[in-house]
Amino acid sequence: MKLAKIIDKAERYINTDERKRKEKRKCLKHVLKKIRRYEKQLEQELENEQDIDKHKRIKKRIKLAHAQRKKGLAMMDQLKKKQKKGNAKEK
Amino acid sequence: MIRKILLPTILGILAYGFWISPDFKQIAAGVAIFLFGMLALEEGFKAFTGGLLENLLRRTTDKLWKSLSFGVVTTTIMQSSSLVSVITISFLSAGLIPLAAGIGIIFGANLGTTTGAWLVAGFGLKVKISAYAMPMLVFGIILVFQKSRELKGIGYVLAGLGFLFLGIHHMKEGFDAFKGSIDLAQYAVAGYPGIFLFALLGLVATVVMQSSHATLVLIITALAAQQITYENALALAIGANIGTTITAIIGALSANVEGRRLAAAHLIFNVVTAVVAIALIYKLAIAVDSISAWLGIAETDYTLKLAVFHTLFNALGIALMLPLIGKMVEFLEKRFQRRARTAAEPRFLNDAAFELGDTAIEAVRKETLHLYDNAFDIIASGLSLQADEILADRSLENIVTASRKPITIDIDKEYNDNVKNLYAEIVGFIGEAQTSMTSDQADELFELRAAGRDIVEAIKDTKHLQKNLSNYLNADNIDIRREYDDLRRQVARVMRQLDNVRKVGEDSAAILSIDTLKMEVKETDNRFDQNLDGLVRKHMITPQMATSLMNDGSYAYDVSKHLIKMGEILFSTGSMAIREAERSLALDDEEMVVLMEEDVNNQTGVNR
Repeated sequence: MKLAKIIDKAERYINTDERKRKEKRKCLKHVLKKIRRYEKQLEQELENEQDIDKHKRIKKRIKLAHAQRKKGLAMMDQLKKKQKKGNAKEK
Repeated sequence: MIRKILLPTILGILAYGFWISPDFKQIAAGVAIFLFGMLALEEGFKAFTGGLLENLLRRTTDKLWKSLSFGVVTTTIMQSSSLVSVITISFLSAGLIPLAAGIGIIFGANLGTTTGAWLVAGFGLKVKISAYAMPMLVFGIILVFQKSRELKGIGYVLAGLGFLFLGIHHMKEGFDAFKGSIDLAQYAVAGYPGIFLFALLGLVATVVMQSSHATLVLIITALAAQQITYENALALAIGANIGTTITAIIGALSANVEGRRLAAAHLIFNVVTAVVAIALIYKLAIAVDSISAWLGIAETDYTLKLAVFHTLFNALGIALMLPLIGKMVEFLEKRFQRRARTAAEPRFLNDAAFELGDTAIEAVRKETLHLYDNAFDIIASGLSLQADEILADRSLENIVTASRKPITIDIDKEYNDNVKNLYAEIVGFIGEAQTSMTSDQADELFELRAAGRDIVEAIKDTKHLQKNLSNYLNADNIDIRREYDDLRRQVARVMRQLDNVRKVGEDSAAILSIDTLKMEVKETDNRFDQNLDGLVRKHMITPQMATSLMNDGSYAYDVSKHLIKMGEILFSTGSMAIREAERSLALDDEEMVVLMEEDVNNQTGVNR
């Protein structure tokens, strides 16, 4: 049983596609966190901004950051699904 | 002349030696197999450098103790200080680490390399090492034939270790048999003349084999077979320590000034350490005796005592030189100065950067940034603005309105003088570098090449824009003047905001804020078209002015677009995987249009 587990682990390591997917998810997660932080920072700036033009510009930036984050989350979901499919095939 | 006869002479001497002594043949074959093992080991470790080493270096070289430990650990794992020093030179050449960190790594590598002596003296001579070599070679070679880069790498490391063990075995056997026919120990020279003679021998042997590790194994096996005296073995080890700098010096020949500084630091460290070790050799021998006694090493176990000596004198060197690193950096920077270069000469592209995929990519990125810096001045002048004003804090509105004096530069000449050659060098370097890269690394290089092309395109569009722009800069018609000022402001804003993105660190999401810039440029372009229609309808500008404005509006839009595309690639920092993730999140044209339409719909909703 233990040997089978070790072989399974080694196979997973050697499987480059699987590893690449994992790495991609990790990086996406990291970038998404950065965008979330950026969004929050912009939201705070928006609260304190009195100038109408600047207010508009910040709002636009928040909207864009939000769209990027949404895109990233969709990509994460897709990667998760692919991983699940891969695992199901292995079983 | 000497070079021409050196190789045939060495080959001749070796052939004669093989003919008269089969034992000598076995020792020499052992050295050859050992060196081949080192080559395989280096090849294996290179397979694991795709991003991993770069990440490790970023995190582990920000403090001196960290770079020192990095040198110790990597050399202990790779068992080759030469490989570590060559890699460090290539990192330094690509501008990935500062000189002080590079020196720290080299110092650490000197200590790390002493673990080799411990392994051979403590393990290699006491067990039948060839028994381990055979399975390693078999498994290693099977893995070398696999497709996966990682498995190939593991295969090379295993085969490399196998060959190292096999080489040690043959050296040991050779010396044992040699003892029966000739007693080399009778040529031992006592006192300081012997120390100098054997130190020189150690130096020459290491220069020839380009591996202090191989020399040391040879010394240890000869010492174990009592073919050399303990005292002479110590001198040989000191000589080998100086000889090992030859690899770094050869590596630095093709490197830029940073690489040469590091090779000089390596030489200074090893020579100073050797001089101190020779001066204090008898005192050090006493210290080795007491340390060995404390460690429980038998009094007659000279091989392990040599390992203690090797570690002790390198540690002593580090203790002596570490406080002087600052002074050393100062001296080296003064001694090896960057020669005055023209703006068109490449600064980061050199053969040393070819060593690893990551360093080649970083060198290309830095050189393309250099290309952008050259282009920045040309584009700014094309807009009749000063480069430093674009980057200043003042409002662009005021700067553009105040800059009324046309800057008449010949963009074609500037392009030929400061851009064309540099761009050609970058393209040539990429062409050569990509042959030894993974597909991911090659893709990254293609992206960088595209960024270079965007820079060139931006200059060409500026050239078209310049002619009418300078004509209308002081036109009597206030409307045409205002429209051209808008175009200037649009491009200058893109340049300023891109510079802001460039300045912030990798921990920010600023690179993704380039999408906002894209959207703003698109909106400005739409507004520009609407304005133009209005001006023509109301006869505020002549039809000739309108056609010029239409063409130049599209040139200005293209300059901005090219610069933004370039910025997305060039200003993205962090590891390759992070950069790729960031790029995948940037919105494409279609997504941008959807977002802009949503924006317009929301606004009309509000207005209603």
